[in-house]
Amino acid sequence: MKRRIAVAAAVAATLLGAAACGSSKNTTTSGNPLDGKGKTLKVYLMVDAQTGWKDVVDAASAKFTQATGAAVDVQYQQWANHLTKLDATLAGSDVPDIVELGNTEASKYVFNGAFADLTSKVNTFDNNSTWLTGLSGPCQADGKTYCVPYYAGARVLLYRTDLFQAAGLKAPQSYDDLVAAARKLQSAHASDPKFSAFYLPGKYWYAAMAWVYGAGGSIAAKGGDGKWAGTLESQASEQGLQKWVDLTKTYSKGDPTKDENDQDAVYAQGSSAMLYGNAWESGAVQQVHKDPNDPNSAMVDTKVKGKVATIPLPGLTAGQGMPTFLGGSILGVAAKSGKKDLAAEWIKDFTSTASMTALLAKGVLPNSTALLDQAASVKGLEAAAAAAKNSWFVPNAPGWADVEKSNVLQQMLVDVVTGKKTLDEAARAADAQIASTLNS
Amino acid sequence: MHAVRTPPRVADGLSAAPARRRRREPTPYLLILPTLLVLAGLLAFPLAYMTELSFKRLTLRDLFTGGAGSWVGVANYSKILHDPFFWTVVVRTIAVAAICVVVSVLSGLLVALLMQRVSGWVRVCMIVSMMLVWALPQLVATQVFTWLVDTDWGVLNWLIDKVVPGVDFTNHSWFIDLWQGWSVIIALVVWGAVPFLAISLYAGLTQVPRELQEAAVVDGAGPWAVFRSVTWPILRPLVVIVTTLSVIWDMGLFTQPYIARASKPELDYYSLAIYAYQEAFAKSNYNTGSAIAVLTVLLMIGVMALYARQMFKIGDAD
Repeated sequence: MKRRIAVAAAVAATLLGAAACGSSKNTTTSGNPLDGKGKTLKVYLMVDAQTGWKDVVDAASAKFTQATGAAVDVQYQQWANHLTKLDATLAGSDVPDIVELGNTEASKYVFNGAFADLTSKVNTFDNNSTWLTGLSGPCQADGKTYCVPYYAGARVLLYRTDLFQAAGLKAPQSYDDLVAAARKLQSAHASDPKFSAFYLPGKYWYAAMAWVYGAGGSIAAKGGDGKWAGTLESQASEQGLQKWVDLTKTYSKGDPTKDENDQDAVYAQGSSAMLYGNAWESGAVQQVHKDPNDPNSAMVDTKVKGKVATIPLPGLTAGQGMPTFLGGSILGVAAKSGKKDLAAEWIKDFTSTASMTALLAKGVLPNSTALLDQAASVKGLEAAAAAAKNSWFVPNAPGWADVEKSNVLQQMLVDVVTGKKTLDEAARAADAQIASTLNS
Repeated sequence: MHAVRTPPRVADGLSAAPARRRRREPTPYLLILPTLLVLAGLLAFPLAYMTELSFKRLTLRDLFTGGAGSWVGVANYSKILHDPFFWTVVVRTIAVAAICVVVSVLSGLLVALLMQRVSGWVRVCMIVSMMLVWALPQLVATQVFTWLVDTDWGVLNWLIDKVVPGVDFTNHSWFIDLWQGWSVIIALVVWGAVPFLAISLYAGLTQVPRELQEAAVVDGAGPWAVFRSVTWPILRPLVVIVTTLSVIWDMGLFTQPYIARASKPELDYYSLAIYAYQEAFAKSNYNTGSAIAVLTVLLMIGVMALYARQMFKIGDAD
């Protein structure tokens, strides 16, 4: 069955690939450095590929093996602490040839020489001129390209259609609509102390920063002297933050010290009306594995099954959506790899228009703006594809991953939401830490 | 004593030869060699390398490209020692460890004394349930506690609402307030430490001769006097040893706060061990991370010196 899906995907991929312009030149490869007989490529992909689109991976590998003769050994990695493991692996000599990273993690590796320079090969990748900048940006350093966009995800507003209907509300078209709806829903459920009109955990910085960028603010900026400075204390940033804090404090009854890890489980319990999450979370809140520890166990419906719809989150500027954080992954070739040409060739096959089209069907966004319109016609992806057109991304600084890992933004948000600091104090403290981390 | 030892000095010359021969016997060294090798590999080498790193500047780039880094003297140390946050964490770590040690050793002692008084089957029940607590890995125990106090579905808030009238703990988050948050963590540490302490101290209590206690009672001593004058002197060496062990464990506090804060501890929940880990592995500042770890070891040795002296004193007395 898997094989048949793979073949079907490959056939569909070929057809679509032929239809898309400019990809045909890829099918003939230059031959000489790409003779991979007897060689094996070691590929580190994250676990999402294994659970979500293993057939796409296998199809790309099959195509690659047929063309080059090299075998592919894909090893799927867990997200938790994967960087600690990766650092240790890359410090040794037996390194993976290809590594997948989250796009916010990429710059740390790009700037520190972990990846091979792919600049001369960029033109051979499909859709390279229309790559999503949130993915390709972190791959650039000093005008060179060190990694390749893989896939993206965009956050949308999840809302309970039944609760909205019962309160006589329509899906919010503007931010004011949204706040008004939240107010009405909260008072309609005043008897339930656990009811959140909009569940927003306090450490959910991907959400809070959307409000910051939506108000015209930003996290940090590079000055003329090449030094980074935090810009969270700027007027625009603070305005955005204030709106997020107001919404969180008034309409979210969850733990203000939690991050977004539990939000699907909380929402699935049925006492929240709205949620800000990835498009795929719409599925995750409606169905869960019977045995959470067994990914092969049957799916069971939750209390909110069939009552959830998604739309782009309305923005703070009239007529515009809230800029969504463009999360996603990139693929890089390890600088220490002995098979760089082969590795680049595999990435080419795996990020081809054909593979991307197959990924669309799995509910994730492709790596190129040229394919976003196609994504908008996939059921369940409409809102995400629309949201992705207006996106923000973290500062492209070599030390950004360290800011993230040391929880600077989470600390700021928790301090404000729990009332330990005023918004201005917390923003100033965060700016100071961002500056010291990014300039060290 | 000195006077007694002096006369046989002549004999020393005779006994010295066999003694030296015994010292050259290879068997004991051979027997201890594997242990030494394992310790050298697992402890001495990393410790030495960590100390070396703390005097260097070695970046992630060096790690990826095989660079050796450069020596920077005490720069890493002076950077940390001038950081007020480091001192906050030092004070916090010592304070939390002190509370954990005092509370857990006292509770352990009380439970041990209780075990002595209860009937046989109650004691068996106590030992079995404590063994179960003891067998539970720290990680799992922390997860369980975190779930108990969870805001969204924790059973503790629900229970408080049911049992205590007039309070509202719905949606109460235990980790907003520092004192509440650390209380949960300290409760967890103590809960995990009591079984070992209670069972060890109970074993110690069985060594206290019953007739001595009975004689004291006959002489008119109350329970407190019996404990102070009869039980305590015999139990003291053991208490010193388990306290020392508790200090070592609680100064290295990591798992409980780290897991309770979902692997993303706020700065308020940093212990020295977490601080060192976050510096080295979250921020890739291997050098400052190592320096913090070295300072932690030194600090621990400092605290331990007091106890070590106490232990040697006891050794001398014996």
